[in-house]
Amino acid sequence: MTDNRRNEDFRDMLARMERDGHLRRVAKTISPRHITALCGKASSALLCEAVDDYDIPVVGGLYWTRARTASALGWPEGELGARFAACVTRPIAPELVNDAPCQEVVITGDDVDLTMLPIPFMHEKDGGPYISAGVAFANDAQLGPNAGCYRLMFRTRQEMGIDLFTASDLRRYYSAAYGRNAPLPVAIAIGVHVFEHMAAAYKAPAGWNEMDIAGGLHGAPVHLVRGKTVDVAVPARAEIVLEGELLPTGWTADEGPFGEFAGMQGDLKKNPLFRVTAITHRRNPIFYALQMPWENDWLNGPATEAACARVLGLAGIQVAAVRATEGGCCGWSVVASIKKRAGEGRNAIAALLSLPVVKQVIVTDDDINIYDSNEVEWAVTFRCQADKDIVVLSGMKGKHVDPSVRPWDLKPGELPTTAKFGIDATIPEGIPAFRYERIVPAFRDEVRLEDYL
Amino acid sequence: MSKDADAALVERIENCLRQPVYFRDILDALRDRPYRAVLRAWSEIRMQHALERDDFGRYSLPKR
Repeated sequence: MTDNRRNEDFRDMLARMERDGHLRRVAKTISPRHITALCGKASSALLCEAVDDYDIPVVGGLYWTRARTASALGWPEGELGARFAACVTRPIAPELVNDAPCQEVVITGDDVDLTMLPIPFMHEKDGGPYISAGVAFANDAQLGPNAGCYRLMFRTRQEMGIDLFTASDLRRYYSAAYGRNAPLPVAIAIGVHVFEHMAAAYKAPAGWNEMDIAGGLHGAPVHLVRGKTVDVAVPARAEIVLEGELLPTGWTADEGPFGEFAGMQGDLKKNPLFRVTAITHRRNPIFYALQMPWENDWLNGPATEAACARVLGLAGIQVAAVRATEGGCCGWSVVASIKKRAGEGRNAIAALLSLPVVKQVIVTDDDINIYDSNEVEWAVTFRCQADKDIVVLSGMKGKHVDPSVRPWDLKPGELPTTAKFGIDATIPEGIPAFRYERIVPAFRDEVRLEDYL
Repeated sequence: MSKDADAALVERIENCLRQPVYFRDILDALRDRPYRAVLRAWSEIRMQHALERDDFGRYSLPKR
């Protein structure tokens, strides 16, 4: 399934998206002030070729919709979860190389100047320009290499704030280094293939190397290269790499607010500082500005759909399709269609709501096209009795980012709980299927639209 | 002052920061200057001052 893309990199992916009609070039000069607004108004991803005062083009909006994400991945829209699940089970270890496109240009020492990069200012109340598409690479002597997605706020020519507020592997690595009063070497890759980006965003089980997963997604080893100033390996075909250290200053530097993945403006935080020791890049690099929230959310969408299919399978339920919806940030809200046996509508709800992030669920029969919101609404309308078919579970694990759990009322360190619900929109037990017989236009197969329009 | 920062621009940003402002307000006030020049001046500001932030994330110069 990935044979034709084994050696694909970020710009190969862009070329395919352009061929698919999901990426358009903008020739007119634009300010980094306006890139996010323009991407938000466009019906495709945009490659802004002329950025005011910079000689580096900016691309954004790549994974804004399911269709664009599918184009980037090269997978059918309805198979994102299934393909992700299949590839994750076949990890392939990365290979270390010596020569790398991402090191065609190397800038070190006092010449390092982050203002050479067209780091955009994205949202009205952001604390500054942000690198939103950074994939951070780090090592730990015990835990091994790690890759993850972290935002970075521009502060000075050589320093950025990095968000390590919530629990993550990098936070764990940094905490250990901070405990030794030592800096943590880190490299930030900007403009990596969606397989590497998605693998880094994936909440991999402990001990898994995200680049092994990226290899599984590619169907071939990811080529990595050691940094020029840090002993950290990064994707060799990244567009731009920032090498440096997380300083042992702890959570002391102001960072944020930033427009977060849930679509709401986040809070001002105290976070560590990233000091840049080198900027390396391709000749003629492309800067990737990931647009919040949907691009960030779609990086997790296939993994969510894969996890849903997995828990339904563990519950012995035959799954027809699973869809993580955009309105639910590709994780919090899920629609699933199943080949139902008696009671399995509710079993499916219980299984899906056991996933930490899933907060609301609709379960339908497999005759419903769950990618059509009208069909899902039809099923909810006519197959659901609200007093019997809505399951509410309270006191479940919640997330601070959800204002409805009133996180500001929590004591320091206290975790929020949340109510979750599911709608069983399968045909109720005892009602024969013929009661739901759908109308069919007469002689449908004899009529071809193109013969008349 | 670093070699790339524009002293006049730094001073204009300092004037903006005499009251709490969002970063967006600074960009808005300096529309007549290139984005990159503003970022270079902002870098200088952050190296020279321990800026204060209010609960909304607005910046201001430290009170003396």
